[in-house]
Amino acid sequence: MMRRRRLARAVFLTLIALLYGFLVAPIVIVVAASLNAGRFLVFPPAGLSLQWYVKLLNSEPFARSFFFSLRLAALTTIITTIIGTAAALYVVRHARRKDGLRMLLVAPLQLPGIMTSLALLIFYYAIGLGGTTYVGLLIGHVVVCTPYVFLTVAAVLYNFDRSLEEAARSLGAGSITTFRRITLPIIKGGVISGAVFSFITSFDQFPISLLLSGVGTTTLPIQVFDYLRFSFDPTAAAVGTVNILITLAVVLMTERLVGLESLYWGGRQ
Amino acid sequence: MVGAGTRGAGTLTRRGRPWFLIVPALAVVVVFFVLPYANLVAMSFLTPGKAEPYVSVPTLGNYTSALGDAFQWWILWRTLKLGFLTTLFTLLLGYPLAYNLARASSRTKGMLLVLLLSPLLVGVVIRSFGWMVLLADNGLINSVVKHWGLAPQGLKLMYNEFGVLVGTVHIYLPFMVLSLSGALQNIPPDLELAARSLGASSTMVFWRIVFPLSLPGIFAGCLLVFVLAVSSYVIPVLLGGFKVITTPLLVVQTAVDVHNWPSAAAQAVILFAASLACIGLYFRLMNRAMRGLSA
Repeated sequence: MMRRRRLARAVFLTLIALLYGFLVAPIVIVVAASLNAGRFLVFPPAGLSLQWYVKLLNSEPFARSFFFSLRLAALTTIITTIIGTAAALYVVRHARRKDGLRMLLVAPLQLPGIMTSLALLIFYYAIGLGGTTYVGLLIGHVVVCTPYVFLTVAAVLYNFDRSLEEAARSLGAGSITTFRRITLPIIKGGVISGAVFSFITSFDQFPISLLLSGVGTTTLPIQVFDYLRFSFDPTAAAVGTVNILITLAVVLMTERLVGLESLYWGGRQ
Repeated sequence: MVGAGTRGAGTLTRRGRPWFLIVPALAVVVVFFVLPYANLVAMSFLTPGKAEPYVSVPTLGNYTSALGDAFQWWILWRTLKLGFLTTLFTLLLGYPLAYNLARASSRTKGMLLVLLLSPLLVGVVIRSFGWMVLLADNGLINSVVKHWGLAPQGLKLMYNEFGVLVGTVHIYLPFMVLSLSGALQNIPPDLELAARSLGASSTMVFWRIVFPLSLPGIFAGCLLVFVLAVSSYVIPVLLGGFKVITTPLLVVQTAVDVHNWPSAAAQAVILFAASLACIGLYFRLMNRAMRGLSA
């Protein structure tokens, strides 16, 4: 009986390990392929090489789209962090129709990005903005990234003890001082998590950029996609590895600042 | 002093409402999300143009031609099938993962969460590329298989529905696990222990206690994954190699390559309607399941 249960547990844990292996497999493989000497990752391996990184550094389109994506993600994050935090403050504390507003604000997460992208493209044409401008692309990114900030900040605000603010106010602090010295430090975790989600979502954004980016506004994921659509080139693996490293750095920084648990719970509530 | 305080912006929390906080986000969502979708629906009732993408003449022609086209029905069927299979496999694979996560100690949990969330944080294009390296005709799996002489011709793992399914299951598995573990976490472990101490076998504990109580999580997870999978675009393109056409691919092709916006809009609306119909059916089945359990 005891042995059977122990066996069952071992089988279960092996299954769990295999499933986590499945989850991280493509990421590990991308890193491996970027360091691989041959064009294809084969068994037995062909040896190590940094040639794909050299090729990446010498590739002007990749470098350009990389920096373009960084700038776009940074600007998107600044905008969404401000308007998302403000919206969360309003909805949690002041709104009468909380549920309705909440549903409306997170709606961009519920509908498929590719359809939102198409709808925006047609809409821009209708209002005379033109199909593929920088502003149009930025707005698209803001639309799909704001809900993340809204959700994470709202999650923190729901557990906020208002008496702290009232205490500060009753001791004579002005509303701006109270916000800066009391409210902001307490909701900081939610704001940072939201900003991180927003940055990563924008930096890796594919569907929105696919239809809205054009000549001169090509983001990195679109550049990689165009590459892979027509050829199978390990330079994409080098790009992917750099991308993974950036994401990892951002996540580790968040972990140090606010803990990963808040990313998880903040993202769900 | 007190008088000065009550005049400050802070009292807005009690009297007026600080509208300015919500206006920017609300404006963005209404102007650049609600209006564009309304415009898309309106577009589906306009006439396709010859030189320009559309002509402002109302018609039902986009719907009648899309619904009368056997090819489009077949594509839609394949898209929904892909959504259904993705949901099924993420549920089967996600359940043990979620159970393990929900019952892990808080230190292991942090590590498991990193493993679980890390694929989510790497872009979908990069992850698809990872699968391409593994699944391609001269990819890693095939080279292992050929090296050991298991299948001399190699296996066809990519540029077919199998490859697309592997990709979608991988992408949406974390979403399912997060939904499920949320529900599983709310089940007190004491409940299982109590059942065990009263003589229930572990299979019985699972089917009579854990599974029924996790139904809300299953419900939410399946809904989320189905909706996301039905509308995925990158995976079918990269791992299907334009051989596995799904409705989102067809919509983009019609809009961008053929430059026929009204038809593309109609196809998109039909896809939404079809997924809504599936979700409605699913709600009814789920309700019956819940009632069956409580009876």
